[in-house]
Amino acid sequence: MADTTSSRPDTQGGGKTSSLSSGKGQTSIADGVVTKIAGLAAREVGGVHDLGGGTARAVGSVTQRVGLGDQKMQGVSVEVGEREAAVDLTLVIEYGESIPQVAEAVRAQVVKRVEGITGLSVTEVNITVNDLFFPGDEQDDEAPARVA
Amino acid sequence: MQRVLQRTVTERVRLARLAAEVVAATEGVTATAGPAGLWRTQDGERSIPGVVAIVVGEGRVEIALHLDALWPPEPFEALAGTVRDRLRRSADSAGLDDRLGPVEVAFHDVLVAAVA
Repeated sequence: MADTTSSRPDTQGGGKTSSLSSGKGQTSIADGVVTKIAGLAAREVGGVHDLGGGTARAVGSVTQRVGLGDQKMQGVSVEVGEREAAVDLTLVIEYGESIPQVAEAVRAQVVKRVEGITGLSVTEVNITVNDLFFPGDEQDDEAPARVA
Repeated sequence: MQRVLQRTVTERVRLARLAAEVVAATEGVTATAGPAGLWRTQDGERSIPGVVAIVVGEGRVEIALHLDALWPPEPFEALAGTVRDRLRRSADSAGLDDRLGPVEVAFHDVLVAAVA
């Protein structure tokens, strides 16, 4: 029996899902899962310091501290169709790394993970390098206050 | 003398219990009741999270499994197939194979183990 896929609203969870059905039952994948896989895949690549723009990272760190945010979805946007997915990523890359090489490695890793895990075909991975991370940047953020 | 109320367990709940056991025994997935805690089957005083069992036509029971996958997951379709096959075998052993209807598998999240 031929498998069929469809994209439909997940009425119980509030998010959209894509699904693959066979004679034995249907398998559905929430779009948020595809987003998270893409974000985790990008973070697996050496040279990627973080994901998200400056504002997203600032807001993300606050929402994460109060338990509302999920940092693994920050800087990732996906569009999921019936059989295909397109991914947009915003990256912060470590200073000194080759941006084209890191971007290409991220693209390959995202395609490998998303296609391998979900069975969706990734049509494009668009990457925006938003910032460079310099060693010591975090230390500046965590420097003790000079006044009590 | 105190009388103990004996509850009979319906085939729907027996299948839901089997489904929960199968998920618990499958590496790489965990059952989730969802953000609102609605994905569960009542089983007497307790409930079975992540399993929704509904009687459909002819006394057959449709099972919907709500799962989170552990990173890095196996391909979802393979994971879903493993869970379905194990549940069919389990239902067969329990004499419930003719009651088990479609098994829906939904992946809702990917969980990453905390680094110690």
